[in-house]
Amino acid sequence: MSTFGGLNTAYSGLVAARAGLDVVGQNIANVNTEGYTRQRVTTSSTNAAARAGLVAWGATPGAGVSVDGISRLGSATLDAKVRATAATAGYTAVRANALGSIENSLKEPGVNGLSHQLQEFWAAWQELGNGTDAAAAAGLLLGEAGQLTAQIGSGYRAVTDEWAAVRSSADALVTEVNGAAAQVAELNGIIRQTLASGGSANEAIDKRDALTATIAAITGASVRPQANGTVDVLIGGNTLVSGTDVQTLKVTGPTTMPTGPAAADPTNAVRVVWTHRPETVGIDGGELAGALSLLGPADADGTGGALAEAAASYNDFATQLADSVNSIHLGGVTSAGIPGGKFFDYVAGTAAATLSVSPTNATEIAAGAIGAGATNGTNADKIAQLGAGRAVDASGNPVVSPNVVWSAFVTKLGVATGIELAQASSANLSASAAVTLQLSNSSVDIDEENVNLLTFQHAYQGAARVMTAVDEMLDTLINRTGLVGR
Amino acid sequence: MIPRVTSQTQMRSAQANLQASAQRLAQLQEQSTSLKTISRASDDPARAANALAVRAEQRATAQYTRNADNGNGWLTTLDTALGASTTILNRVRDLTVQGANAGTMSPAAREAIAVQIDGLRQDLLTQANASYLGRTVFAGNSDAGVAFTADGIHSGGSTAGVERRVGADSTVRVDADGAGIFGSGADSVFALLTTVSDALRNSPATVSTHLAAVDTALNKVIAANSDVGARQARIESATAALVSQKGSLEAQRVQLEDADLATVILDLKLQEVAYQSALAVTARVIQPTLMDFLS
Repeated sequence: MSTFGGLNTAYSGLVAARAGLDVVGQNIANVNTEGYTRQRVTTSSTNAAARAGLVAWGATPGAGVSVDGISRLGSATLDAKVRATAATAGYTAVRANALGSIENSLKEPGVNGLSHQLQEFWAAWQELGNGTDAAAAAGLLLGEAGQLTAQIGSGYRAVTDEWAAVRSSADALVTEVNGAAAQVAELNGIIRQTLASGGSANEAIDKRDALTATIAAITGASVRPQANGTVDVLIGGNTLVSGTDVQTLKVTGPTTMPTGPAAADPTNAVRVVWTHRPETVGIDGGELAGALSLLGPADADGTGGALAEAAASYNDFATQLADSVNSIHLGGVTSAGIPGGKFFDYVAGTAAATLSVSPTNATEIAAGAIGAGATNGTNADKIAQLGAGRAVDASGNPVVSPNVVWSAFVTKLGVATGIELAQASSANLSASAAVTLQLSNSSVDIDEENVNLLTFQHAYQGAARVMTAVDEMLDTLINRTGLVGR
Repeated sequence: MIPRVTSQTQMRSAQANLQASAQRLAQLQEQSTSLKTISRASDDPARAANALAVRAEQRATAQYTRNADNGNGWLTTLDTALGASTTILNRVRDLTVQGANAGTMSPAAREAIAVQIDGLRQDLLTQANASYLGRTVFAGNSDAGVAFTADGIHSGGSTAGVERRVGADSTVRVDADGAGIFGSGADSVFALLTTVSDALRNSPATVSTHLAAVDTALNKVIAANSDVGARQARIESATAALVSQKGSLEAQRVQLEDADLATVILDLKLQEVAYQSALAVTARVIQPTLMDFLS
C-alpha cells in the first residue's frame, strides 16, 4: 500500500457517507409521496490491492469502501398481494355499486315503492266493486293503474340507465388500461436502459409499480418481472405489455341494453377484445370483469348478468300482472253489458317499458259478471282478489298473485345486493390490509431516517478525522524529515 | 406480528379507523332520525319480504273496512226501510180488520179506510224504493233508478245479490231481494193493497178474505228484516275484527321495520363517545417524532 493510500481510503469513506446522506435526503423529501419506496445506499468494503511482483509487502488493509448502488426496499410478494386483492376489491365494488343503485331505485319497503302502488291499484278495484259512484271510482282506478304502469316503467328505466352507465364505465376503464399499459411499456424502456448503464431506476420502478397496480385493479392482470429489469403484464395469459411492446384493448357490443330478441343474440354481448386481433380478452378480475359480469344477458336459470336479470324480472312482473288482470277482465262485462276487452296492453318481451292501460273511461271497464246487472261489481272484486292471492282462473285453479311475484323479485335482489355488499366490504378490508402491509414495508419512517442521518453524519466526521490524521502524518514525513539537530 | 410502523402507516390506520367510526356514527344517525331498521331490502331481505306482505295486508284491511262501512250503510238503509214497512203493513192489517166489519160501517167510513190504505200503499212504495248513495237497496244490481214502478213491478231483473268484501275470504250480501219480499206486479203487496182498498169500496164482504194475504206479506217483511239484522250483525263483527286486525298489523309492521328508539339512542351515544375518543387518541399519537428530541 502506498504512503498516500490512507488518504484514498478516507476519501472513499467520505464519498460513501455523503451518498448515504443524499439517499436519506431523498427519502425524507419523499416521505409523503404516494407510491414512493424507501431506498438505502448499499456499500461494500474494498479488497486490499492484489500482490504484484516478488516483493513481499506483508499484510495490507483493504482499500476503503465502495458505493455499490442504491437499493429499493420494496417486496415483490407484498406488491403482488396488493395487485391481487385490488382486483378482487375492484370486481366486487363495481357489482355492489350497481346492485345497490338498482335496489335504491326500488324504494322498498315503504310508501314510495311499487308494492304500495300495487295495493292502491287492488283497493281501487274494490272501490269500483262497491259501485257507489261508478264514474268517480273508475276515474280513481284508471288513475291508480296509470300510476302503476308509470312506476313499473320508471323502475325498468332505472335498470336500463344503470346498464348504460356501467357500459360507459367499461369504456372508460379500457381507456385507462390502454393509457397505463403504454406508460408501463415506456417506463420499461427507460428502466432497461438505465440499469444497463449501471444507474439507479428506483423512481421509475415506483411509477411503474403504481401503473401495474392500476392495471391489475381494473383487469386482474398479473405481472411477470424479467431479468433485464422490465416487467411483462399479462391479462388472461396473454401479454398486454412485453418489454416495450404494448397491445391495446377495446370494448365491443351495444351501448344501450339490448331488449327483446336482440338480448338473446350472442353477437350482441358486450366483450373486451384485442385491437390487433378479434379475440375476446379473458379478463380475470378487477373492475372491468365486474362491469362485464353486470352487462351479461339474462338466462333461463336467473343467473345471468345482474342488470339484465333485474330487467327480465320487471318484464316478467309486468307480463304476469297484465295477463292475470286481463284474463279476469275479459271474463266480465261493462255496465252496458258489453264483454270487457284487455285492461293492460303491452308488447311481449318488453312488457315493463310498454305496459299501458287500455280503457280510457268508466264505460270500458268490465266490473260486472255476465247477466248480473249494470251496477254489479263481482268482476272487479275478482280482480281485487288477485291482490289477496285468492283469485282463481276460469277452470278454478289459483292464480299467483302479482304481489308475490314482486315480493320475490325484491327479496331476490335484496339477497343478491346483501351478498355483494358483504363481499365488497370484506374484499375492501383485505385490499386495505395488503396496502397497509406494503406500506409498512416500503414507506419512509422519519425516525428511522433521522437515525440514519446521524449515522452517516458521524461516518463522514470519522472519515474526515482519518484524512486529517493521514495529512498530519504526511506533514511530519515531508516537512520534518531530515531536520534532526537543526 | 406487528409490522414495521412508519408515520405513513400510522396516519393511514388512524384515518381508516376514524372513517370506519364516522361511518358507523352516520349509520346510527340515519337510523335514529328515520327510526327504520330496514330502509332497503338488502338490510334484511327476509324481514323486507315480510314487511311487504304486512303492508299489502294493511292496505287490504283498510279497503275491507271501507267496504264494510259501505255495506253497513246499505244494511242500515234496508233495516230502516223494512222497519217502516212493518209499521205500515201493521197499520194496513189494523185497517183491514177494521174494514172487515162491513156490516157496521157506512160507505163513507169504508171510503175513508180505503183512502188511508191507498196512502199507506204509497208510503210502502217509497220505502220499497229506499236508496243508499244513489243505489236502490231493493233493486240488486239494476241501474233502473227505482226498485218498484208505480204499478209495483220490480225492476231488479237479476237474482245476483250485491256483495261487499269484508275479508280476503268473506263477503256479506248487503241488499235485499225486493221481488222476494214485496212481490212484483200482480203478486205484489202493492197489488194486494190496491185489491183491499178496491174491496173496501166495492165489495165490503170480501175484505176479510184478504186478511190472510196481508198477514203473509207482513211476515215476509218481518222475516226479511230479521235476515237483514243478522247480516248487519255479521258486518259489524267483521268491522270489529278488522279494527283489531289493523292494530295487530301495525304492531307487526313496527316490529319488522321500525327501530327501537332506546336502543338506537344508546348505540348512537356509545358511538359518539367512541368517535370522540378515537379523535382524541389520534391527535395524540401522530404528533411527536425523533426530530422533536434532536437538537
